[in-house]
Amino acid sequence: MSSIGTGYDLSASQFSPDGRVFQVEYAVKAVENSGTVIALRGKDGVVFAVEKLVTSKLYEPGANRRIFTIDQHVGMGVCGLIADARQIVDIARREAANYKSQFGVKIPIKFLNDRVSMYMHAYTLYSAVRPYGCSVVLGSYDPEDGSSLYMIDPSGVSYGYYGCAIGKAKQSAKTEIEKLKLTNMNTKELVKEAARIIYLVHDELKDKNFELELSWVSKDTNGLHERVPEHVFLEAEKSAKQAMEADSDSDTEDM
Amino acid sequence: MSLAMNAPIASYDNMCSHDWIDAPHSTGTSIMAVEFDGGVVIGADSRSTTGAYIANRYADKLTKITDHIYCCRSGSSADTQAIVDVVVYNLNFHATELGEAPLVESGAAVCKELCYNYRDSLMAGLIVAGWDRKKGGQVYSIPIGGMCVRQPVSIGGSGSTYVYGYVDANYKPGMTQNESVEFVKNSLALAMARDGSSGGVIRIGIITEKGIERHIFEGDSIPKFYEG
Amino acid sequence: MAAVLIADYPEPGFSFENCKRNASFVANGFVPPKATKTGTTIVGITYKDGVILGADTRATEDTTVSDKNCQKIHYLASNIYCCGAGTAADTEMTTQMISSQLELHRLNTNRVVRVATANQMLKQYLFRYQGYIGAALVLGGVDSTGPNLYCIYPHGSSDKVPYTTMGSGSLAAMAVFESYWRPNMNEDEGKKLVRDAIAAGIFNDLGSGSNVDLCIIKKGTAEYLRTYDEANKKGVRQASYRYPKGTTPILTTKTSNIDVHDVSITYVEPMDMS
Repeated sequence: MSSIGTGYDLSASQFSPDGRVFQVEYAVKAVENSGTVIALRGKDGVVFAVEKLVTSKLYEPGANRRIFTIDQHVGMGVCGLIADARQIVDIARREAANYKSQFGVKIPIKFLNDRVSMYMHAYTLYSAVRPYGCSVVLGSYDPEDGSSLYMIDPSGVSYGYYGCAIGKAKQSAKTEIEKLKLTNMNTKELVKEAARIIYLVHDELKDKNFELELSWVSKDTNGLHERVPEHVFLEAEKSAKQAMEADSDSDTEDM
Repeated sequence: MSLAMNAPIASYDNMCSHDWIDAPHSTGTSIMAVEFDGGVVIGADSRSTTGAYIANRYADKLTKITDHIYCCRSGSSADTQAIVDVVVYNLNFHATELGEAPLVESGAAVCKELCYNYRDSLMAGLIVAGWDRKKGGQVYSIPIGGMCVRQPVSIGGSGSTYVYGYVDANYKPGMTQNESVEFVKNSLALAMARDGSSGGVIRIGIITEKGIERHIFEGDSIPKFYEG
Repeated sequence: MAAVLIADYPEPGFSFENCKRNASFVANGFVPPKATKTGTTIVGITYKDGVILGADTRATEDTTVSDKNCQKIHYLASNIYCCGAGTAADTEMTTQMISSQLELHRLNTNRVVRVATANQMLKQYLFRYQGYIGAALVLGGVDSTGPNLYCIYPHGSSDKVPYTTMGSGSLAAMAVFESYWRPNMNEDEGKKLVRDAIAAGIFNDLGSGSNVDLCIIKKGTAEYLRTYDEANKKGVRQASYRYPKGTTPILTTKTSNIDVHDVSITYVEPMDMS
């Protein structure tokens, strides 16, 4: 047996003497190793952007996507262990479908967030299971309630956000997001910003290849969550790259 | 009842058993609901029968599900009361879980689910009506097989067959609250006059954002029509 | 199909298969044993201070009066009583069971149980049995909300009412109520009205008879008046129907002697019981 650690980290059902649950903290580490995921909530919708790290050139483009549609009106971006995340996607989809069949209307995202976070929290309570090694962001747009955005972390804690970032470069991404006037922006503008931030925070030295994923759910999409259309994607990607170049140019000028 | 009177008096059972003793207690009924801008008007007669006997002449068939969702009941009293009890429980639970008032659509969906799943053992025709902040006044008709459909105006119960023509001829989209109340009153009065198992008083409920406002029309305040 | 590997799950809920079978037996001419019915008049009213329940006391089996003084007003709780019509066994067992549950509920909550609770428990119980429990009930009591009266049907529906009647004599009794019941009656008026309603049942309905039982429930007290009135008193014989001695004249007398030829006594050895 390994002699590392205090021995309080072997089970999710045991506290350490200073009141921590190490297994949950390790799960958070798993999330922090993953490609950055950001979600921005504007005045008329939510935009998701993912830095999907590509670890092999042999993968098909578009494999192992990290943005999912939970129900017509709900999008989910995931960060962390993809296999764990897919299970969360699955239960969120079931919860949404079940709600619809029981109550005849689409699930309110607030309610979906409650159910999914309760589910994730349950996995922090028992010795026989490990916590989920992923964080998820849930976003939706409703004509009456406007846009809403939630993030759930492996402990099962969740908050509503105007903008959030998880994964490797969450700190620098958050700094960038904080500069934006989110409540005044529409999704068209947000898509560009989101793409720019993903390109900006990507660490070319450590992770060579990545694929940008973009999706939105907004007034313009009639409240449906969908991947952004190709021309929007290409434009956003182009302007992100231009911004990067401009950035590096100014860097050189400074030098 | 009439059968027992004419039958040869062979046994004590024939002498004192009346069909209404064993007949299930049912609401041979006239019920109605109309959407208007800002709410709904619901209405019902007050007669509840067991066979040919009026078991209750002042029954209340407008049953509360939540503050803003009501249900007009027709069919077997026992079945509809049991359904509503279950729906009330489910929707209250749902409301606390949701942290807000449930949608009328949800109330109707829960009713429909029960009516459909137990369609072989239930005798229930419901009209679920109410107000919510998303779609305003709404009326959902759930007839006997467990179908659920939204209608701007809906009638139900045994008395409704007598007034389909009247309702079709007199319903106008975009009626005001008062016009809707008069429309419901007139339709129910006509139904109650022709249907033997409908009668008593007219109960009206007006559901808006503010909740329900109830009225009872009895005796002379029930509209009169040709009585020949 | 799946029988070999996986056992079929039984249908959820009660099975009423045998009820259908019995109905088909009856349709084919089988005469089933008759249950004791309380072909009955039971009533209840609300008045100013509470509720008054009333019942006749006849129980019948087919055409026979099987009990001339049975009790049809059942105890549910110290503040709630319940009149039962229909199958005697069903009303008795149903009220006993609900009474027991109400007492446990009272002990658990440390509160006076409500009539609405009793109503809900009774109707759910009866609904579960889809009318096969033949109990038609008049439920009355006083709780923190005031006087409450309910009328519960065997299929599990119930009405909250100011006055009600049930059983085969309910038409006769209802005729009395519809004529004379008023809101806010006082106790004496209420007692008389209920007595009259039951008497109407006793006199005009073959299934009802014998005496009037009353139960008056007010805030804090319940008064059970067993045999409040003998509505249908048996008449007293006006004359003696015995024949006086000598009514039949003796025409002739003849005496014959019996000759005894032999007398023998046999001693029987007692069985050894040790």
